[in-house]
Amino acid sequence: MDRETLILKWLNNDLNDQELNAFKALDDYDDLMKLQQNLQGFKAETYNTSEEYDALNKALQNKKAQRSKSSWVNPFFRVAAILALCFGLYYYTTTLDTTVTTAMAQRTSIELPDNSSVELNAGSVLAFNKSHWKKERDVKLQGEAFFKVSKGSTFKVITSNGTVTVYGTQFNVKQRNNYFEVICYEGLVGVTYDTLETKLKPGDRFLIIDGKMIAKEKELRSKPSWINHESTFESMPYSRVIAEFERQYAVSVKLENVDATQLFTGSFTHDDINLALKSITLPLNVTYNKSNDKITIKGD
Amino acid sequence: MEKKLYDNVCEEQLFSSIFNKHSENLFQFLYYKFGSLLNPRDKVQEAFIKLWQNCSKVPPEKARSFLFTTANNLMLNEVAHQKVVLKHQQEKPKNYTHENPEFLMQEQEYHEKLQKALSNLTEAQRVAFLMNRVEGKRFKEIAEILDISTKAVEKRIYGALEKLRKDIKEL
Repeated sequence: MDRETLILKWLNNDLNDQELNAFKALDDYDDLMKLQQNLQGFKAETYNTSEEYDALNKALQNKKAQRSKSSWVNPFFRVAAILALCFGLYYYTTTLDTTVTTAMAQRTSIELPDNSSVELNAGSVLAFNKSHWKKERDVKLQGEAFFKVSKGSTFKVITSNGTVTVYGTQFNVKQRNNYFEVICYEGLVGVTYDTLETKLKPGDRFLIIDGKMIAKEKELRSKPSWINHESTFESMPYSRVIAEFERQYAVSVKLENVDATQLFTGSFTHDDINLALKSITLPLNVTYNKSNDKITIKGD
Repeated sequence: MEKKLYDNVCEEQLFSSIFNKHSENLFQFLYYKFGSLLNPRDKVQEAFIKLWQNCSKVPPEKARSFLFTTANNLMLNEVAHQKVVLKHQQEKPKNYTHENPEFLMQEQEYHEKLQKALSNLTEAQRVAFLMNRVEGKRFKEIAEILDISTKAVEKRIYGALEKLRKDIKEL
């Protein structure tokens, strides 16, 4: 057996007795033994597997704690953010004012959250807030509407001309250009105009035209006439009558040689334009000419 | 095809058995390859932490090579920043019988020569050689740890032995 094989066998702890003797007989046996002995000084530090495993577990637990902060708290915040967003959107949309608009020649009736009802005349806008309804019954009005208010807290109709406060009643509010009229049909209505509140009893009428308060006689009907598809006027400037006519039939009316300031008393129906035209022209001795949506009213 | 019991190492028991099987070998591998200065103990820990973090991607049979590659890379990252200084444990064997000063000096001299010679070995030679000579591992075990053939281990160890002896004689 040659030297290399013996040394390899020695290296691999494979020597049998006979081979060991042969190995010991090698010239470099002492040399190898010295080397072997000295090499022991280079032994790696002791490594305690179970201690190291505990240390690893500790390190992993710290990592896990860190990870859990980012891995489940984050999704939690994501969900929370989405919920907050949805809730905010829901809150925003439900607290928005509800707005009802009627176009020319259109009427609508609105049921308010507390079963109060509103009849909205043509060319008007009514806005109210459903979610605040329990706290304050406020509606904003532009145009003309008839209110039937059910019992409850103060009901307010806010217009650009003034505020109508209601104490459980039926009343009509008419707010047009420089025209503000409130008629109380039942109960009690307070009208605030220029910080001055006027209380209206049934049949009382509050009228402001061009900033001037105009006294009128008592209203005897139980409902405004427009509810029954009729517009009624008493000593009303003719221009206001024409404006109302334009609203009800969605037409434009041109006046020629007609005094728009003369007072008109009478009514016109909302259902028949020809009859209505006659109603507003005949009493004043004027003629009219109708083509499509354009109507011309001629004086003498 | 045989169905595998585990397809990753996320199972804690499996992970623990992998640790028991490989951690010491990995530590010795790093120690003999890079010396003690670069903290082989910490690198072993780091490698196992990385294994746990990637446990779902590593099948059990790949765990060993994942660990060795990761730990080796961790070492190399550090080596890039500082030159390796091999400083194996200086502790001397305490089985002297005659401790006269001259003998001690000779011993000291021999020891220094040996240390220098070890540093001159290639990393592959040093790891295989010291695992065999110091840790008493047989060729086959070393082959398994390093994932090379027994023949290659034999070659590395014998080559290392020859080179060491030559170096010591020359120094």
